[in-house]
Amino acid sequence: MADAPSLITGETKAGDWRNYERVLLPPVKDLHKIDVYEENGGYSALKAIVEDGKFDPKGLTDEVKASGLRGRGGAGFATGLKWSFMPAVDPEKPRYLCCNGDESEPGTFKDRQIFEYNPHLMIEGIVLSCYAMTIKTCYLYIRGEYIDYVNHVQTAVDEAYASGYIGQKILGTDFSTEIVVHCGAGAYICGEETSLMESLEGERAYPRIKPPFPAQSGCWGMPTTINNVETLACVPLIVNRGAAWFAGIGPEKHPGPVLYGISGHVNKPGVYEFPTGMLITDLIEVAGGVRGGKNIKAIIPGGSSTPPLTWEMAREATMDAETLREAGSSMGTAGLCILDEDTDMVAFTRRIAHFYHHESCGQCTPCRDGTGWVEKLLSRIENGEGYTRDLELLLEICDQMEGRTVCALADAAAWPVRWGIRRFRDEFEARCKAESFVSSEMGDGASTETESITI
Amino acid sequence: MNVIIDGQSFEFEPGDLLLQFCLDRGIEIPHFCYHPALSVPANCRQCLVQAGLPARDRATGDLVRDENGKPVVNYFPKPQTSCSLELSDGMVVHTQYDSEEVAAMQADNLELMLINHPLDCPICDQAGECPLQIQAYKYGPEGSRFEFEKVHKPKRVQLGPNVVLDAERCINCTRCTRFTTEVSKSHQLSIIGRGDTNYPMTAPGQVFDDPYSMNVCDICPVGALTEDYFRFKARVWEMSSTPSVSDFGGKGINVDYWVRDNHILRIIPRENLSVNEYWMPDAARLVYERYNENRPQGPTLAGNASDWEAAYDEVANILKAANGKVVFLGSAYATVEDNYLLMKLAEAVGADAPQYISRIQVGSGDNWLISDDPAPNTQGCERLGMNPLDPVLLKAKLAGGEIDVLYVLEEDPIAAGVLSADDLLGIKVILHHYHTTNETLAHADVALPAAMCVETIGTYVNETGRAQRLRPAKMIRSMNRSLMMEAGVGQSRTDRHGTPFDRWYNEDHQIDCQPGWEVLPAIAERLGAPMSYKSPAAIMAEVAEANPAFSGATHKAMDLLGVALQDIGEPV
Repeated sequence: MADAPSLITGETKAGDWRNYERVLLPPVKDLHKIDVYEENGGYSALKAIVEDGKFDPKGLTDEVKASGLRGRGGAGFATGLKWSFMPAVDPEKPRYLCCNGDESEPGTFKDRQIFEYNPHLMIEGIVLSCYAMTIKTCYLYIRGEYIDYVNHVQTAVDEAYASGYIGQKILGTDFSTEIVVHCGAGAYICGEETSLMESLEGERAYPRIKPPFPAQSGCWGMPTTINNVETLACVPLIVNRGAAWFAGIGPEKHPGPVLYGISGHVNKPGVYEFPTGMLITDLIEVAGGVRGGKNIKAIIPGGSSTPPLTWEMAREATMDAETLREAGSSMGTAGLCILDEDTDMVAFTRRIAHFYHHESCGQCTPCRDGTGWVEKLLSRIENGEGYTRDLELLLEICDQMEGRTVCALADAAAWPVRWGIRRFRDEFEARCKAESFVSSEMGDGASTETESITI
Repeated sequence: MNVIIDGQSFEFEPGDLLLQFCLDRGIEIPHFCYHPALSVPANCRQCLVQAGLPARDRATGDLVRDENGKPVVNYFPKPQTSCSLELSDGMVVHTQYDSEEVAAMQADNLELMLINHPLDCPICDQAGECPLQIQAYKYGPEGSRFEFEKVHKPKRVQLGPNVVLDAERCINCTRCTRFTTEVSKSHQLSIIGRGDTNYPMTAPGQVFDDPYSMNVCDICPVGALTEDYFRFKARVWEMSSTPSVSDFGGKGINVDYWVRDNHILRIIPRENLSVNEYWMPDAARLVYERYNENRPQGPTLAGNASDWEAAYDEVANILKAANGKVVFLGSAYATVEDNYLLMKLAEAVGADAPQYISRIQVGSGDNWLISDDPAPNTQGCERLGMNPLDPVLLKAKLAGGEIDVLYVLEEDPIAAGVLSADDLLGIKVILHHYHTTNETLAHADVALPAAMCVETIGTYVNETGRAQRLRPAKMIRSMNRSLMMEAGVGQSRTDRHGTPFDRWYNEDHQIDCQPGWEVLPAIAERLGAPMSYKSPAAIMAEVAEANPAFSGATHKAMDLLGVALQDIGEPV
């Protein structure tokens, strides 16, 4: 891999993105209404599959595999491959699909656009996915704060039921599937797939230990697949236009249309649909440039848990998993946050740490207590009361949290802190009181025993 | 199939989980949330180890070996929680004994666990028997780098009648909530809040009145949940604990009696997977005062204080004069040994075989650890061949003048509703009693204070036919407890290292009573029918030898976990 050519070329991988035609959120008025959706070709993929038999379940799964679709919920796992993990159908065992609409990460706000403007695309995708995996029930889990969207999506689901696209004997065929819209109660952790299932079951949303993986034992112990809203919304597009069309959009390893949620110090923050592999600079241009024509200090490429990039690292990078990994971060949910030169990185990191401290479910010791400690240290530094040794301590606490918990929340909490300090160290150090700290070997932290010299 | 732990190879059964496998073999791995009777949430993250599987060639399935011929191990990229790690063939494990990295990870975890823990060990009831305290000393870092105010949570919360919560001490292991969900199934506790403000709580307005609520205090690995009755009573290192059996009902719950100043202050369950597993009902703990309060001091003759020799003489005289017109009442509260000696005494004076008062009320139990039978040794009486007493028949005999003497072993026939005071007019009553509140005591011509189950040696047979040994937790005046404990099993720290000057020995709190196996031979000797036994163990050996219903039930065989006796069929 060391010999592989760099992916950070400063060239866009999104092709002719300026003439890109939106497909997830096409510019059609009132598309959330079922008749408008149908007029614009809606539910034709469903008809092609269940009425005309365009694909059998395995064929549909293979088509999704061939499309190269990767999950849009943050981890970027290959969707078709995930579907193929479902065991063979056992008539004794119900199987479930969970559509994960619990988007709660700071900087991530794309699924709500689908809920609001194109819910039927998602619904059609859900029914198609159920068909591919022979699933008779889908739980559509939407975060509690999105109560307006919960009602809005419920209306769309009701319409789809009334038109025979969901329910028993869909379109008069033998294929049946139900969609249950479930409203969460407002916890970030419910977006973690096993935690989402616990929450659905009415339990406290503590993530489960894996294995067993959801495909073996998910909701109520039954085979379950969990997919993100945007991921499922891509499925009807793949059926209608073919895997080759989808695979041809953006870079080869991470293709397809994607919703970029752009926030921070830009003139026109919002959700923009483009191919994957967009240059970050192009996206900033799309979002109207940096507010006040300032320089950029940092980019958070995929939601608050992804490591922040300095402008140097980000300016030639494109938005796809491979390139961003090489650049030193990850694609996450493609929720970019642009931070200009006036940003206080200490305050920014502290605020993110506060979020993870607040949202840690408290199940695992390192996350429960580590997130709080990290926030307290960062607050102290922000207030000018910290010491340079605190930075080393913060990095060590990140080591103590990362990879040692049931789910990835501890990792998500540690990364922005670890990389924030590593990449913006000068700024952190400038806030700290320099100190010759002679800590005892016992490490008892007794600061009264130490002589501090402020330079 | 083999697993290699710290370089040593062990055979295992498929499905074995690493932590329990290690604990069973004496390899201690620190842990908090894991409990063998509960589900495995792997949430405390303390039992981290490094583990890996041998690399295999994809095509042939053969082990891949390095240039020295040693199998190459593919280690899991992340540390594994041993509680949830299922063993597989060839797995290689490094614990904290073998890997400094693992030891450091465990220390890291304890540092995090302690940052919001109040460290109020000096005033915490759990100190001295606290898994957090013990494991923090053994595996934790020396000191902490945490320099902030700790998180504050509710303290002294009365969750229910028997359990008090200190949420700041809680480490969120969820053993308590899993107990109420999975074991007692009352579902009364749940974790509320999130992150570092989590703690267990009842639903709003609900009371934690689960009849098994205090088990959560036993399994709590910190001092967050404490028994209301025992809070601030004693430090555990000032106490002795004695493994024995509860006299609460017919289940024969295995317990540890905790004693200070020769008072029973606490009763907790002792693990016996064949009987009570790890649990006991609250009611069986709250009887602790009955071993300390209202106890008689020395024998009385017609209500007047006497001494033991005079009392024995008087009993012998009464029995001689009765010419066999004696009814003997055995007891489902007395041991097998004492009931057996009573049967021999009845035979010696030519009376009918003793009967016992049955208290079984079908349906009064809970089909778990609260039995339909409030008495502990009904089976023992049955197996000795004693029959339940027919009160109508006894009343008729007493009224008809067929009986001159009623000999009662460790019973209270008036309180039991079997006899009334009027029935005893003109009858000589000899009574072995536990308490001064015994209602038959006022009618006793000779009253002989009896040792309770916490003061004697003997055998109870539970309702499923399991013979289990009692050990003396308290000292009585006439007997040296340490000598009684000389068998060596189950001695506590104070037994091994203590002296008679220790506070737990407290002579003021020694009851002047006698066990049946001291009193009955003394009386028999005066009647010219000597019983010569060196110890209760010898009595039980004779019973086990002579009576097939007790076959195999020697004290040695019973040891700490008891012996399952052969089935004798349904009691008649």
